Amino acid sequence: MTEPRPDKNQILAATGTLCVLRPAQSVAGLQRSAMPRDGALDLFLLVDDTGAVTAFNGHVDLGTGIRTALTQIVAEELDVALERVTMVLGHTGLAPNQGATIASDSIQVSAQPLRRAAAQARHRLVELAAETLGLDADTLEVEDGIVRPRDGGNAGLTYADLLKGRAERLLLSDDIPVKPASAHRIVGQRVPRVDIPAKATGSFTYVHDVRVPAMLHGRVVRPPYAGIDAGEFVGKSLIWVDEASVAHIPGMVAVVTMGDFVGVVAEREEQAAEAARRLKVEWKPTPTLPDLDNVENALRAIPAENRRTLHERGDPDAARAAAAETLDRTYVWPYQMHASIGPSCAVANVGEDGATIWAGTQNPYPLRMDIALLLGLPEEAVEIVRFEAAGCYGRNCADDVAADAALLSRAVGRPVRVQLTREQEHAWEPKGAAQLMQVKGGLNADGTPAAYDFNTRYPSNAAVTLALLLTGRVPADNPVFEMGDRTAIPPYAYDHMRVTVDDVAPIVRAAWLRGVSALPNSFAHESYIDELAAAAGVDPVDYRLRHLHDDRAAELVKATAARAGWQKRTAPRLEVVEGDVVRGQGFAYALYVHSKFPGYGAAWSAWVAEVEVNKRTGDVAVKRVVVGQDSGLMINPAGIEHQIHGNVIQSTSRALKEQVTFDEKAVTSREWGAYPILTFPEVPVINVVLMPRPDDPPLGSGESASVPSAAAIANAIFDATGVRLREPPFTPDRVRAALSGEAAPKPVKEKRRRPWFAMAGAALAGALGMATLALPIRGAFPPIAPPDPASFSAEMIARGKILAALGDCAVCHTAEGGIANAGGRALHTPFGTIYSTNLTPDVETGIGSWSYAAFERAMREGIGRDGRHLYPAFPYTAFTRISDADMQALYAFLMSQAPVKATPPANRMTFPFNIRPLMAGWNLLFLTPGQLQAEAGQSPQWNRGRYLVEGLGHCGACHTPRNLLGAEKGGAAYLAGGVADGWEAPALTALSKAPIPWSEDELYTYLRTGFSRFHGTAAGPMAPVVQELAHLPDADIRAMAIYLASFAGPASADASAVAATLEAKAEASLRPMDSVGGRLFEGACSACHAPEGPTLFGARPSLALNTNVHAAQPDNLIRVILEGIPAPAAPALGDMPAFRDSLDDAQVADLVRYMRAKFAPDAPAWDGLAQTVARLRATPTQ
Amino acid sequence: MSEPVQFQVNGTAHAFALPRSTPLIYVLRNDLGLNGPKFGCGLGECGACTVLMDGVAARSCVTTLGTAEGRAITTLEGLGTLAAPHPVQAAFIAEQAAQCGYCLNGMIMTTVAFLARTPSPTEDEVRAALRYNLCRCGTHVEILRAVMRAAHGEASE
Repeated sequence: MTEPRPDKNQILAATGTLCVLRPAQSVAGLQRSAMPRDGALDLFLLVDDTGAVTAFNGHVDLGTGIRTALTQIVAEELDVALERVTMVLGHTGLAPNQGATIASDSIQVSAQPLRRAAAQARHRLVELAAETLGLDADTLEVEDGIVRPRDGGNAGLTYADLLKGRAERLLLSDDIPVKPASAHRIVGQRVPRVDIPAKATGSFTYVHDVRVPAMLHGRVVRPPYAGIDAGEFVGKSLIWVDEASVAHIPGMVAVVTMGDFVGVVAEREEQAAEAARRLKVEWKPTPTLPDLDNVENALRAIPAENRRTLHERGDPDAARAAAAETLDRTYVWPYQMHASIGPSCAVANVGEDGATIWAGTQNPYPLRMDIALLLGLPEEAVEIVRFEAAGCYGRNCADDVAADAALLSRAVGRPVRVQLTREQEHAWEPKGAAQLMQVKGGLNADGTPAAYDFNTRYPSNAAVTLALLLTGRVPADNPVFEMGDRTAIPPYAYDHMRVTVDDVAPIVRAAWLRGVSALPNSFAHESYIDELAAAAGVDPVDYRLRHLHDDRAAELVKATAARAGWQKRTAPRLEVVEGDVVRGQGFAYALYVHSKFPGYGAAWSAWVAEVEVNKRTGDVAVKRVVVGQDSGLMINPAGIEHQIHGNVIQSTSRALKEQVTFDEKAVTSREWGAYPILTFPEVPVINVVLMPRPDDPPLGSGESASVPSAAAIANAIFDATGVRLREPPFTPDRVRAALSGEAAPKPVKEKRRRPWFAMAGAALAGALGMATLALPIRGAFPPIAPPDPASFSAEMIARGKILAALGDCAVCHTAEGGIANAGGRALHTPFGTIYSTNLTPDVETGIGSWSYAAFERAMREGIGRDGRHLYPAFPYTAFTRISDADMQALYAFLMSQAPVKATPPANRMTFPFNIRPLMAGWNLLFLTPGQLQAEAGQSPQWNRGRYLVEGLGHCGACHTPRNLLGAEKGGAAYLAGGVADGWEAPALTALSKAPIPWSEDELYTYLRTGFSRFHGTAAGPMAPVVQELAHLPDADIRAMAIYLASFAGPASADASAVAATLEAKAEASLRPMDSVGGRLFEGACSACHAPEGPTLFGARPSLALNTNVHAAQPDNLIRVILEGIPAPAAPALGDMPAFRDSLDDAQVADLVRYMRAKFAPDAPAWDGLAQTVARLRATPTQ
Repeated sequence: MSEPVQFQVNGTAHAFALPRSTPLIYVLRNDLGLNGPKFGCGLGECGACTVLMDGVAARSCVTTLGTAEGRAITTLEGLGTLAAPHPVQAAFIAEQAAQCGYCLNGMIMTTVAFLARTPSPTEDEVRAALRYNLCRCGTHVEILRAVMRAAHGEASE
């Protein structure tokens, strides 16, 4: 199923058609698009001589099902079957301009001309039939497009017949009556959605699925001021882009820069993604934000320059002064996000004289205007083709990405598809604004409200399409919209009332989000009246009804309360469920009034929320919500019910869990761990009460049921606990703090310091005996012609190949993405960076001219063919121990590889290690040349294992600590833990911090599969080691395990029992929702790492047993979080993604702190985590 | 370039001469034109990209070609068609378990894998099984009904 896009000109030129048209209108709104041309006509409806009906609407389906509801409206008025009707939604130049799809207006407002068009078309078709049949039109009826006499008879004409050869062109008239509700057969029915079968089978085309010929893939690179779009610096912060940093990526087409707009284009999507990640971009520092951990203070600090008084009655000041009890209250709403499940995507094809944009926009015509402005084209040269996207619930990045695609397409002269990343969508989507509501009022002696002086403060934001700001096309001085006034007037008849709104300047990029400003305003109204009722000692529903002078509202309130089994109370009931768990029931009601003040109402909604609060943990569970709604005439009650379910779940999520986080510069909620939303186990039971109002006009139902949510939940928490919460989200820490009468703890931010790098190597210069300089450089072996591979036996080469795998030659001697053994991989040591050499038999750049004698000397003594010393990053101190036969086989294999011409980069060693002859002295001190001799008294397997481990396997090279001069320590330090290429190589001896000591079986399993259930997964440099070991027979792996196990501490008698104890202890320790780190873990890690998580492909490492979590240093855990496991040791383990671009240093530190405390509760906490994260981030190993 | 990576998708063998680190989702979507798997987070957090790999749910945004090598992959398209939907697809359609539908692929694929292991789940088990599949529209109620319908026949209201 794809978006239908017929050709309007062809339609209008064709005979056999009936069209209903209306003069094109200029649409006022937040963004006013161009005036239509004089005489331009919008097409609303087409009936053709096949009997098909095509209907056009300017509002689009945002996943709410309005396509289906509109189909019902058209089919109803035309008297055709639903299947005959196709809806065309939102394409510019084809669908009428009806403004942005906002304010739940699609059915209530934008469907009205369409409904009349369908009625008019039917009227005309009946008229034509009457003429043809020679009967009075009043005597005819229509059934599924067949017009026939009402009194029966055989005469019947189909719409298709009637239109043969005709070209009916009707101007939309206001005079044709639409059907009364009593005549409805399709409207009012629970009709299945037209789009769901295609969506459930993968045959629906979302904008993400649009592909056009010759299309390239783009990604954008956003500035560091993520989510901030006002200020002088916007569009002016780029210093430079290093295009060379991505030149090596295959498929690169272009790097595009305009102001602060930066994008990349490549042939393939993963190439573009890689380029965007790798592109080096330098930005100027950007200003510091107000402290948004304290939303209230940040909002109070904005100057209020535009106070509007929306309503004034009586004398609220005097009435408050005279009140028996003064009751002033402040309510605060956090920044929240739309959090679309799919990050926005668009395709653009921009040519010299026009542009086509395939977009998931909510606002096709306003977007067209923006694209025209951005590209300097007239509006009519831009076509927006609208496709469905992920649900947006307001304005997400759908328009932004369309503009991004337009810029990239113009730059490369081909169609470009741009997919935003999750991080970009989270960080840059225009947020639902924070809001501050203050009520000054009180209670009279008789319990009636004395006064209601309400002020709401809304940091508005126009959320100008981002590319316009980033390119400097539009200055970043966003206008302040009058947007804080939605539902600002309370529904209750307070005698003395003042309602004022401060529309203030933005702090962060924001736009409308479901229930824009109305949800926060209603949170205040409905919390406050609950507070009044409690102070007056009156049941909160009764109290509302006394002051709610709207019969329709009162009926809804009563019906909802009755359905919920409302328990009357005059004070909080504090009902105990069991132990610390208490239960409460809360009420709230709202008529969602939206659009430019004074606006108008959508559907009425009322909530009864039932919650359980654990007074010890602070957990709030919304168990059941009874929600009543009066939507007037319901086009599709099933659709309305689904919208109510969706609103209840989403707004419960907002009330309980959601708040955007910031650091001092930008948004830091960039994935689902940092912005948790409600999950399946938390979803309440929902009972819907639909008020039957078929004779009243249909009302918007897309947002109303969100509006009472937070107040109903807060009121229920009050009923359960007697404690009033006035700032969502109602997280456990806030609830605990409120219950203990303290302010909720603000998250502690670790102070950031500049990373500090130890310069160990340079300090050691003096330690090295200068006398060694006097030692002669060793002689060179003469170059030889490369030996003919045929001179080696196939068996010998094959054995050499296995030995090369054991020796991990290719692990170090292969550059990332390079040819095996051709060298060039950077090895970072404390003494500088060494690049591995080319081990292929190329004469000039490899070892092609090396004789066996030269090769053997290199392997056993660390001296190159030319007599130069090699650095002991090359583990010749281990290789010296291998047998002659193995050495010869290895030589045979290396010499029989295909030669590759490749010169590695020059080493970058620090003084004095850059003086190679010093290595001679080093060798004198630390090299014990000679083959390994079997140890009598040990088993042949043990001796074989020792030969493999100490020789070619060179395990000690990483797992043995080195002394100040970089030599492996001996004795008890052997295998006691070292460092490998920026990763910690854990101790394999009794010094291991692993909670369960290594056993022979676990070592075998780990070396064979890359995974041990008691230790974890091979990551970092160990993953390729295990990959290489796959070439070895089981017997050799077993021998290695036997030998290594002889170093491990005493084995656990019952490792499984110990594991179970450790896991139970971890499970019982911290709760994820109690800390930032825990929430990050829950959202980012648990799907793959929670013990009770879903069955997913790959290993599920138990973190309570993980060596890295129990290690002395956090480095490996941090590394694996930052870098992931991009090439796992074995495919069956599954892949682990890198979180480097998703979590900042403070978040990784929080996450690691939580993991340590939860999964290794007996181990000491790690210090200086944020600094360690910064240091490791600055020295990536992948 | 290394050896082509071979695997099966919806019963057909394919080989791709691409880096083994290539995320599977891009190959399924862009090379095979399979739109079922949706890009949601790229981190394995939300589940929108779920496919079956040898019958087990796998998040294709964090699965590399190398990991997929030699395996049998099933996407939403491979379960059933509009004309002949898979029983789980049919249950989701019957319960109208989608709003925007972007998460739907993950919900259906995860459900298919889950019901293969747990054919007769309780509602709590279903909630736990889908806990790490995120839906923003709030279609959870209909999705739960759909899974129960797929498992137990027509859902009881």
